[in-house]
Amino acid sequence: MSETGGVPEIVPEFVLPPPTGAYRRLNPTTKLLIALAEALIAFGVRGWSGPVVVLAIVLASGARAGVGARLVPFLLATIPLVASILLVNTFLYPGATDRIFVLGPLAPTWTGLVFAGQATLRVIAFAMSAAVLGLTTGPDELVADLERRGMGRRTAFVLSATVRSVPRVLERVREITEAQRARGLDTEGRIWRRVRGLVPLAGPLLFGALTDVEEQTMALEARGFSAPARRAVIRTFPDSTPQRALRLLLAAGTPLVLLVSVIGMLGFLP
Amino acid sequence: MTSLATESLVFVYPDGTRALDGVSLQIGGGEAVGIIGQNGSGKSTLIRHFNGLLRATEGRVLLDGQNVNERHVAELARIVAVTFQNPDRQIFAGRIGSEVAFGPRNLGVRGTDLEQRVEEALKAVDLGPRGAANPYDLGFSQRKLLALASVIAMETPVVILDEPTTGQDARGLERVRSIVRRLVGAGRTVVVTSHDMRFVAETMERVVVLRDGQVILDGPPEEVFAADRWPLLGTTHVEAPWAAQEGARLGLGSTPTEASLFTALQAWGGQV
Amino acid sequence: MSLSLRSVTYRYAGSSRRVLRSLDLSIERGEVLGVVGANDAGKSTLCLVAAGLAPTTIGGRLDGEVAIDGAPSAGARPHELAQRCGVLFQNPVTQLSGTTATVWEEIAFGPRNLGLALEAIVERVAWALSLLNIDVLAPRDPARLSGGQAQLVALASVLALRPAYLVLDEPTSQLDPQGTQLAGEAFARLTRSGEVGILLVEHKTDLLERLADRVAVLAEGELVAVGPAAGVLADERLEAWGVDPPARVRLARAAERAGVQLPVSAA
Ligand SMILES: Nc1ncnc2c1ncn2[C@@H]1O[C@H](COP(=O)(O)OP(=O)(O)OP(=O)(O)O)[C@@H](O)[C@H]1O
Ligand SMILES: [Mg+2]
Repeated sequence: MSETGGVPEIVPEFVLPPPTGAYRRLNPTTKLLIALAEALIAFGVRGWSGPVVVLAIVLASGARAGVGARLVPFLLATIPLVASILLVNTFLYPGATDRIFVLGPLAPTWTGLVFAGQATLRVIAFAMSAAVLGLTTGPDELVADLERRGMGRRTAFVLSATVRSVPRVLERVREITEAQRARGLDTEGRIWRRVRGLVPLAGPLLFGALTDVEEQTMALEARGFSAPARRAVIRTFPDSTPQRALRLLLAAGTPLVLLVSVIGMLGFLP
Repeated sequence: MTSLATESLVFVYPDGTRALDGVSLQIGGGEAVGIIGQNGSGKSTLIRHFNGLLRATEGRVLLDGQNVNERHVAELARIVAVTFQNPDRQIFAGRIGSEVAFGPRNLGVRGTDLEQRVEEALKAVDLGPRGAANPYDLGFSQRKLLALASVIAMETPVVILDEPTTGQDARGLERVRSIVRRLVGAGRTVVVTSHDMRFVAETMERVVVLRDGQVILDGPPEEVFAADRWPLLGTTHVEAPWAAQEGARLGLGSTPTEASLFTALQAWGGQV
Repeated sequence: MSLSLRSVTYRYAGSSRRVLRSLDLSIERGEVLGVVGANDAGKSTLCLVAAGLAPTTIGGRLDGEVAIDGAPSAGARPHELAQRCGVLFQNPVTQLSGTTATVWEEIAFGPRNLGLALEAIVERVAWALSLLNIDVLAPRDPARLSGGQAQLVALASVLALRPAYLVLDEPTSQLDPQGTQLAGEAFARLTRSGEVGILLVEHKTDLLERLADRVAVLAEGELVAVGPAAGVLADERLEAWGVDPPARVRLARAAERAGVQLPVSAA
C-alpha cells in the first residue's frame, strides 16, 4: 500500500480530495483503533485516571484536527444521560453512608458523588472520542479501508455506520434548528437561548432517526448493497510504518492496560 | 404591505460554489413574483436570504428598506415565512396538527385562535381530517402540502414558497394556485419558485428569470414568455408554456396562459 | 419479456388498508409505460411493489404475484432484484447513500455493490453522467446540490445499475423544462434498444404524450384504465380521476365547450 494513498489511474483524480491536517491524514483504520482504545480505557480503567487521561487525549486530538467547536453539540447530547447518572448515583448510591447533607428524604453521599463524577467523565470521554473519529473521517473512508484489509462488508458497514451517524446527527440538528428558527423559535444570540433551543430538538431527532432507518435500508437495498460480491477498490488511504507500529501498540497495549487495571496493579493511580 | 429588495447580492457557499452573482431585485409590497431558471441557477439560495437562513456574502438584503443582517431568523420569521424545497427538511413534529401549530405558537398565538388557524391551514390543503396523523404517513406530495400549510398558518406579510408545485396532481396544483391568489388578494407579498411554466404564467403577475446566479429577465408573463425572449430563456433551460408556444406558432401574439390563448383564438373566429 | 403484476393487492405493515387492489399490469421490454393518477392513488406504492422492495425490504402483505421475466420476485434476494429492476424514489434525497464524498462515487456505489471490475464501473459512471448531461457535477459533494441536481444524480445512480426494468417515481418533478426534455430523451433511447422496459410515474401528461407507448391510470389503488397513450390521455374521465390531460386535449375540450372551431394545427 502506498505511503500517501490514492486512486487508480482510471478514476478521475477529484475522487480523492487531498486530506488536510495531520490528524485527518491518519489512515482511517488507525483512527478507528485510536477511538476504540480510548473507549476501552475510559471505561475499563478504574478511578479517575482512565477517563481523565482519555478525555485529555481526545480533546487534544480534536483541537489538533480543528474540530473543537463542532464537538459542542455532542457534549450537549450527553446531558440527559449525564444528568441521570449524577442524580441517581449521588442520591441513591446503594450502601453508601458518608452523607453530604440530609434534607428531608434527600441524602446525597460522597461515595455516590465520586462514582457519578467518574461515570460522567467516562461517558463524555467516550462521546468525544466517537465524535472526533466521525468528524475527521470521511463517510465512506472507513468502509473502504476496512474492506481493502479483507473485512466483510456487513461488519465494515456496521462499524462505519456508527461513524457516519456522527455527521448525520449534526446535519439533522442543523436542519431541524433551521426549520424551527424559520418558524419563529429564537435560538440565536445568548447562550441561554441556544440551550433552550435544544430542548424541542430531542423528540424530532430521535423520531427522525427511527423513520430514517427504513428509507435508508430501502435505498441501500435498491442499489444492491447486500450483494455478496467483493467491491472494487476505488480509494486507498495513506499509511506508514509509524502508523502500523502505533496500531500494533494499541492492539496489544490496550488489553494489557485493561488486564493490569482489572487485577488491581494500577492501585497506585488516583 | 412589506417590500423586499436585494442589492448586488452575492452568495458563495462554504465549498466555494458561487450561487448568487450580483442579484439586484425590488419586490413591492403585495406583489406576486415567480422565480424561474435552470436547475442550480440559485432560486432556492436567493429566497433563503429573505428570512436570514443564509447571509449575504456581499451586497445587502432589505425588508421594507431595512437591512436584514442584524436581525435574528426568529425575528424575521414574524414577517417572512419560507417553505423548503424538500419538505422532509422542514417537517419535524410527530403529529400533523402540531407541525402546523409550531409556527403560530412561536408568534404568540394561543387557544382557540391557534386551533382555528391550524384548522383553516389544513383545510386549505385538503388535510383537514388528518390533524392527528403522523406526517410520515403522508405521501411526498402531501408532505409538501403540509409544509405549505404550516407556513400559511403563520399569517406573515411575506410568504415565500420553494417549488410548491412539485409532485402535485391537478387538484393539488389548483390548491396551491388558489392559496397564492388568496394571499395576494389579502395584500401579502408572495414569491414562488417553480419549474411549472403553466403554473407560473397563470398564477404570478411578474416573472424573474435567473441564470447562473444572475437575473437575466424580469417582467410580466406576456413579456417574459413572448417569442422573442425564447432564445434567452433557452440559455437557462427554460421553455415558454405550451400556450405561449402554440399562440406564437399560430401568429396570435403572446399568449402565456391557456385562457389568453383561447381568447385570442375566439377573437380569430376560428378561421386561422 | 416483461415485468408483470398479477392480481396484486398490497397492504403496508401494520395497516389493513389495501393501498393497491387486484392490480393486473405488465411492462414489456422496449416500452415506456406511463402511470398517472391523483396524489394518494397508490403510485409510489406501485413503484415499491413492482421493484420488489415491498414486501421484501419493508414488509407488508402482498397478495398476487410480481414476476420479472417469468421469475417471481417473492423470495428473491434484494440484490438480485436490484439487478433486475432499478427504482427511483420520489424524493431523490432519500435515495442517496449518504456515504460518498463525490457525485462520481455516488453513481459508482451501485455498480461497485454488484462486484463489477473497476474498468466497468468507470465506464458505467461515465455513461450515466453523459446520458443525463451532468458531467460537471461529478466532483461535487452529493449532499450539497440543488433539488433538481440531486434528482439527476439519483437518476444517474439508478441508470448505472443497468437493470432490464426501471421503475421511476416522478423522475422529472424537480427538473427544469430542458432537463425534463433531456431525461425523456434518455428514457426513449434506453427503451429503443428493446432491452429495457420503463414504468414511469408522471404528472406531466405533455411529456407522456410524446414519450409513453402505453398509459395506465390508477385511482384509489385500482387500475381504472390502461392502453395506448393517445387514447388514455384523451379519455373523458381523466379529470375525474384527478389527472390533468395534456395541453392539446385541454384546449380542444375548451374549444368544444365554447363552440369555437380550432385551427387545424391546434386541434
Ligand atoms: N449547501 C450547498 N453547498 C454548496 N453548494 C450548494 C449548496 N446548495 C446548493 N448549492 C449550489 O448552489 C447553486 C445554486 O443552488 P440552488 O439550490 O439555489 O439552485 P436552484 O435554482 O434552487 O435549483 P433547483 O431548480 O434544482 O432547485 C447550485 O450550483 C448548487 O449546486
Ligand atoms: Mg431549488
